[in-house]
Amino acid sequence: MSLTVQPDPVAELYRSHHGWLHGWLRRKLGCSDKAADLAHDTFLRVLARRPASALEQPRAYLGTIARGLLIDHWRRRELEQAWLDTLATLPQPQLPSLEERAILLETLHAIDRMLDGLKPAVRQAFLWAQLEGLSCPRIAERLGVSLATAERYVAQALRHCYALHFPA
Amino acid sequence: MNPPKAGRAEATTAEALPDEVVDAAIAWAVKLDYGTPTPAQRAELEHWLAADQRHALAWQRLRSMRKDFSGLPQKLALDTLNAVDNRARSRRRSSLKLLSLGGAGLFAAWMARQHTPWQRLVADASTGLGERRRLELADGTVLDLNTDSAVSTTLTDDSRLIQLHRGEVRIATGADTGALTRRGAKRPFLVRTPHGTLEALGTRFVVRLEAERGWVSVQEGAVSVQPEAAPAALLRPGESRWFLHGASLPAPADGMEAGAWTDGVIAGHDIRLADLLAELGRYRRGFLVCDPRVADLRLSGIYQLNDTDATLAFLTRTQPLQLKYRSRFWVRVEPLDQP
Repeated sequence: MSLTVQPDPVAELYRSHHGWLHGWLRRKLGCSDKAADLAHDTFLRVLARRPASALEQPRAYLGTIARGLLIDHWRRRELEQAWLDTLATLPQPQLPSLEERAILLETLHAIDRMLDGLKPAVRQAFLWAQLEGLSCPRIAERLGVSLATAERYVAQALRHCYALHFPA
Repeated sequence: MNPPKAGRAEATTAEALPDEVVDAAIAWAVKLDYGTPTPAQRAELEHWLAADQRHALAWQRLRSMRKDFSGLPQKLALDTLNAVDNRARSRRRSSLKLLSLGGAGLFAAWMARQHTPWQRLVADASTGLGERRRLELADGTVLDLNTDSAVSTTLTDDSRLIQLHRGEVRIATGADTGALTRRGAKRPFLVRTPHGTLEALGTRFVVRLEAERGWVSVQEGAVSVQPEAAPAALLRPGESRWFLHGASLPAPADGMEAGAWTDGVIAGHDIRLADLLAELGRYRRGFLVCDPRVADLRLSGIYQLNDTDATLAFLTRTQPLQLKYRSRFWVRVEPLDQP
């Protein structure tokens, strides 16, 4: 990948710690294949961030990245289950096609990740506004809060999404 | 490999805006996009946007974020996103983690049994997306199945019964000569749907099943529509009707010729673009979204169903429209950009 003669810190990291990381993930996931995938993704992230020099605590560093991926993985499994449950309640003629389902699931996953970290009421208010087109007065009614609070919720969510889309 | 990240692509080239500009734009959005704005407020916003380019940029960015949510089926998306959040939170709260997940799994399995696509399995005939198929029954009846449809048929000594499980079918009833019931009458011809039953009186007609209702349009002869729990209605050639539990009502004309799909086309006069695209969308995979700005554009003509991508391309050559492909399965029809 690199033509420099110096040892690549990422390659070094991989050689020394890949086995440990894979084992750690396997214990968390109970599945060797999935663990291998996530270990691979972890190193891809490391490559993207390119730590400049050798790390002082390489396993702590790898563990932090891998933990983030694990949480994302579990959250995604949960979303998939919620999605299947929701699909199961639909009458037959409303079922989207398989391709539509795949696209929808990806989109929902992206949205779910985007809204991660918002307070439940803020998330709820924002989803109503975006998906149902509810106005703030209606959201206030549904949540049983004041109009000012509903407006603050929507504004908070917009601020959160803006920061993700357009990082300073 | 990684799933698409909503809108992150712009992030790398984006110009950073001061917080106070973004906050002001959000305050405007909350009042105008998510409130009930007065004309005076709108005018004020125009003024604010014109005051500084960065104001307009912030506003435009907020608007662009809406596309994360566009084209999503509202209820499906909302139910899923709410359920996953409740699920995650209740799991964090609950020490009975395994028990609750087991229960949810059982419930899901039960629901799946109630609703999974068994129709395809019990149906005598079905079609996939974009597919059409013709069936001839022993009594001479011809069934044309439209895209993504399923029917089953039961011919007995006493009656001829078609069940429409999903989609749309055109039925040209056979004369049924020589097969009289034991009482010496012709066997009745019935079409059963979840929303009501139709009785054909020597005829050619189209039945379509939608989520909440059924639709029938008669081309020849007559059809009696019997919704669940509502009075029956008799339809003559050229008439169409919606029917659902508790009611049936005349269907307003949308300009499209009923059953033209049996010739592989959509044909009609003065069709709203939104209606045409909704119809075309039934024959292709993925989303076909109509920009609201062109929804009311009126079109007349014949549109081929066999290659819907070519038909969409044809639309852009003959109308001031353009296609935005978000992915192969996600197409948005928009007005041409103003030069």
